[in-house]
Amino acid sequence: MDAVSDFLRTYSTTIAVIGVSALLALSVWLTLYAGQLTLGNAAFMGVGAYVSALLGRHLDTPFPVALLIGSVAAAALALPLGSIVFRLRGVYLAIATLAFGEIVRVVLLATPITGRGQGLNGIPPKTELWHIYLSVLVVAYVLWRVQGSTIGRAWAAIREDEIASASQGIAVGRHKLAAFVIGALIAGWAGGLSAHVTFSIDPSDFGFTKAVQVLVFAVVGGTPNVLGPILGAGLLTALPELLRPLKDYRDIFQGAILLLVIIYLPRGLVTFVDVRRTRRLSRIGALDVA
Amino acid sequence: MRRLVAVGIGGVLLLASCGGTAAPSANPATATVAAPKPDIKIGLATAKSGAANFYNPQQSNGALLAVEQINAAGGIAGAKLQLIVEDDGSVRDQGITAFKKFIEQDKVAAILGPTLSAVAAGAHPVAQAAGIPVIAISNTGLGIVGKCDYGPCDWIFRASLGEQSAVPETVKAATQKLGLKKVVIIYGDGKFELDDLTIFKDAFKANGVTVTKEIAYTAKDVDFAPFVTQAKGENPDAIVASSLAGPAGKILDEVAKQMPGKRVIGGNGLNSAALLSNANAGLMVVGTAWSKASTDKTNTDFVAAYKTRFGVDPDQFAAQSYTAMTVLADALKRSGSATDHAAVKKALEGVSSLATPLGAFSFTADHDVKQPTFVMTVKDGQFTPFQ
Amino acid sequence: MAEQLYNAVFIGSIYALFALGFALVFSVLDILNLAHPTVFMLGAFIALFVIGTLGLPWFVALPIAVLVTGLFGIALDRVAFAPLRRRGAPALSSMISSLAVTLIVVRLVELRYGGDFITFPAGSVPAFVFRVGDATFEGIRLAIVVLSVVLMLILTYVLRRTQLGRDLRALAENPRAARLLGVDVDRAIAATFFVSSALGGLAGVLLAFAYNTLDSRMGVPLELRAFTVMVVGGMGSLPGAVIGAYVLGLGEVASLVYLPTELRDAFAFGLLFLVLVLRPTGLLGQKSPDRV
Repeated sequence: MDAVSDFLRTYSTTIAVIGVSALLALSVWLTLYAGQLTLGNAAFMGVGAYVSALLGRHLDTPFPVALLIGSVAAAALALPLGSIVFRLRGVYLAIATLAFGEIVRVVLLATPITGRGQGLNGIPPKTELWHIYLSVLVVAYVLWRVQGSTIGRAWAAIREDEIASASQGIAVGRHKLAAFVIGALIAGWAGGLSAHVTFSIDPSDFGFTKAVQVLVFAVVGGTPNVLGPILGAGLLTALPELLRPLKDYRDIFQGAILLLVIIYLPRGLVTFVDVRRTRRLSRIGALDVA
Repeated sequence: MRRLVAVGIGGVLLLASCGGTAAPSANPATATVAAPKPDIKIGLATAKSGAANFYNPQQSNGALLAVEQINAAGGIAGAKLQLIVEDDGSVRDQGITAFKKFIEQDKVAAILGPTLSAVAAGAHPVAQAAGIPVIAISNTGLGIVGKCDYGPCDWIFRASLGEQSAVPETVKAATQKLGLKKVVIIYGDGKFELDDLTIFKDAFKANGVTVTKEIAYTAKDVDFAPFVTQAKGENPDAIVASSLAGPAGKILDEVAKQMPGKRVIGGNGLNSAALLSNANAGLMVVGTAWSKASTDKTNTDFVAAYKTRFGVDPDQFAAQSYTAMTVLADALKRSGSATDHAAVKKALEGVSSLATPLGAFSFTADHDVKQPTFVMTVKDGQFTPFQ
Repeated sequence: MAEQLYNAVFIGSIYALFALGFALVFSVLDILNLAHPTVFMLGAFIALFVIGTLGLPWFVALPIAVLVTGLFGIALDRVAFAPLRRRGAPALSSMISSLAVTLIVVRLVELRYGGDFITFPAGSVPAFVFRVGDATFEGIRLAIVVLSVVLMLILTYVLRRTQLGRDLRALAENPRAARLLGVDVDRAIAATFFVSSALGGLAGVLLAFAYNTLDSRMGVPLELRAFTVMVVGGMGSLPGAVIGAYVLGLGEVASLVYLPTELRDAFAFGLLFLVLVLRPTGLLGQKSPDRV
C-alpha cells in the first residue's frame, strides 16, 4: 500500500496531465468526428486557463464557478469564430483556426493583466485528481451518448458527404458549429483544471506546439469512438515519463514509437485495442474518419 | 473500461518507475567492520532535453564533479553523497514530477535546479510545500527567492546571480565607461527577456540614461536587421539586447554592420560560450556571475579539475552547479543530520564567505546569492573584464 | 526607409526559399510535411559536417548538403509516407509520421552537436561583402534573394513544360488516373520529395551561411510562416508562395515601423486569417484550388 501511495504522490502531476490531455483530445475529437480539422483548441484551453486563474486571483471566485466561467468564455469565443471559419474546409480550416490560436497568444503576450510573457505565477493548486478524472468520465460518457444520437449520426453523415447530408435536410453549418463550440467548452474546462495543477501558466503553453500535440493525441488514439482520444492522450502523455530510464535517447524512442503506431495502426490505437467494435463500425462504414 | 485503462497506464508507470530508480542497496549484511552510513541523496533536475537542453551536459557535470571531489575527500562525516539527475524536459509538468520523485521516492536531502525559471515557477512550490531545501542554480529572473508569487518561499535558495544584482552593475560600468546618454532596448517576448527588460529600464533610470525606444521581437523572428535599423533611427549611444544568446548573436552582427562603433549591452542571456565564436562578440558588455579568468585558487583548481575530468573547459553553468553543490556540502557538514531538513536549511542560511569558483559565497537574508558581479566583454574568443 | 525595404525583401526571400519545397510537396501530394523544418536544419548541419569535420571548402559543402538532403527526402517518403499511402491511411496520419521523424532526427543532431547554436569554423564561410555608394551588400544575402525567384521560375517551368512536370500534374490531379495513364507514379513521387528536400536543404545551408549560426531548432520559426505564405499566395501555386512570402516579409517590417511593437506578430496571423476568410483561394489561386 505504501508503494501505491508513494507512487501516487510522485506521479500525481503526470496523472493529472494525462487526464487533462484526455479532455483536450476529446474536445478535438468532436470536430474530427464531424470530419472537420480544427486546431483552435489549445487557444480555447488558454482562454479557460487564464480566465479561471484571473477570476480566482482578483475576484476570489469559487473554484468551480471560475472553471465554469472560463470554459463558457472559451465557448463564447468559439461561437463567432466558428460562424466565420466554417465556410472553409480541410487544411484551410485547420490553418484559419491555427491563425486564431496565434492571435490569442499574441494578445496574451501584449496584455498587462495576463502578465504578458511572464505569465501568471503562483496559481493555487486547487485541482484534485478526482476533479479531472470525474470530468473525463462525464465528458466521455456524454459524448458516447451523443455519438449514438441523431446529432452524432448527423456528424458522421457530414463527415462522409457534406452535400448529401445537406440534401437530406441536415443543417450542416449548425452541426459543425455545435461540435466546435462544445469542443471549446471542454477545452476551456480542461485549461482551467490544468492551470490549477502546475502553479504557473504562460502564453507559450497554449501555442502551435500544443495545438498540434492535442491533435496528435486524438489521431494516434483513433477517432471511431471516444475511447480513442483517451487512449492516445494517455499513452503519449505518459510516454516521456515511461521512457525516463532511456535518458538522452528518450526523444528518439518516443519518435520511433509514434512512427510505428501510426504506420501499423493508421486509424489509431483503438483499432488494436477494440478490434471487434471497429469491425462492426467498419461494416456500417463509420471508419474513414479525418 | 476507462477506469481500467487509467489503472493500466498507472501500472505501467509504476513498473517503469521501479525500473528507473533501482534503489542502491547498502547491503548491511556484508559489512563486517562497521555498517557504512547510508548515502546522502541529492536531486538535480536539469534540462537534458527540450528547448533548454543546451545547458547540459555542463550543468550536470559541474554538480557531478563536486560530488566526486567531496566523496573522494571522505564525504560528509563518513557518508557518501549520491547525485540523482533527472531530466526536466524544459517543461513545467516534467519538472514538477522530477521534484516529486526526489521528494517522495528518493527521499533526498536537498534539490538543485530546475534549469529554467518558467519550470521553477511550477517545481519550487512543490519543494516549498514539502519543506525540502532547494538551491536554484541557473534561474536569474524575478520571483525565484525572497518575494514569490506562490507565497512564502523560504525553503528556496539561489546560487545563480540574479539579474537584479548583475544588470545594475553592468549598466553602471557601461554608463561610466561609454558615457551613455540614451539607449534603445531590443527585447524578446519570453519570461527571461521581459524580466530583463524591467530590470534594465530601472537600472538605466537610476543612472540617468534615457531609454528612447523599446523594440519587441518574438521567439519566431529569424532576421534581426529590421529591429536594428529601427533602433538606429533613434541614434542611440548603445543598443541593449534583452535576449537569449541566439538572437543576441544576430543583434551583435547587425549592430556591427549597421552601427559601427556602437556596443551591445546585455544580460545573462549573452553570457554564453556559444557566442564566443561570434566574430562581433567583442562588442558586448555583460555582467556575469563567474569569470574563467579569475585567478582565485579555488577557481583555477576548479577549471583544471573540470578540464581533466570532462575534457572541455567549464562554462558559467558548470561553475554555478559546482558551487551550489559545494555550498550544500558545507551546510550538510554543519547541519549534524542530512535527514533533518530544517537543520540543513538553517545550515545553508549560515553559509558564510565560503571559497567557491564564484568568489566568496554567502546568502542574503532573502536566500539570494551574495557574490561579486564580473562585468565582461569578449576578446580573442574569451570573456575578459570590461575596461 | 530604403534600408527597411531591403530588409523586408531579404526576409521575404528567406520565407520564399523555405516555403518552395514545402509548397511543392503539398501541391503534388497533398501532404503537409511537418518534417520540412527538419530537412532545412539537416542541410545546414550536413554543410557543417563537411566543412568542420571533413575540412572541405564551402563550395563543396553546399552541393553535398543539397544532394544528401534530397536523398534524405526520398528516404523520408519511404519511411514515413509511403507505408501510409499503401495502407490508404487518412491524410492526417502523414502529419503525425512526419512529426515522429522530426523528433528522432532533431535528437540525433543534438546528440552529435548539442542543443546550443554553433557557428562554422572561423573563416570557412564566404562573406563577399561589397559596397555600392554607402550601402553594404553581402553576396550570400543577394544570392538568397536571387535564388528565391530564380528557383521558383525554374520549378514553374519544369512543372509546366517538361514530361516530369506533366507527370507530377497528373499525379496531383488524381494518382489513380495518373497510374492508368502510364505515369511512373513511384518515380514521380520520389522526384517530388528529392526536389522538395533538396530545396529545403539549400535554404538551410544558405541561411546558416548568411547568419553563420545554426541550431537543431532553426527551422521551427519558419514552419508557421510557410503555412501563411502558402495560404496567402494560394495553396498549390508556387509563384503564389513566393509572392505570399514577399507580402508577409513586407507586412512584418511595415508593422514593425508603424505599429506598437508588441502587436507586430498579430499582423502575420491577422493577415492570414483575413485572407482565408475573404479570399480562401489566395492571391494567385483559382476558384477551385488548382494544384501546381
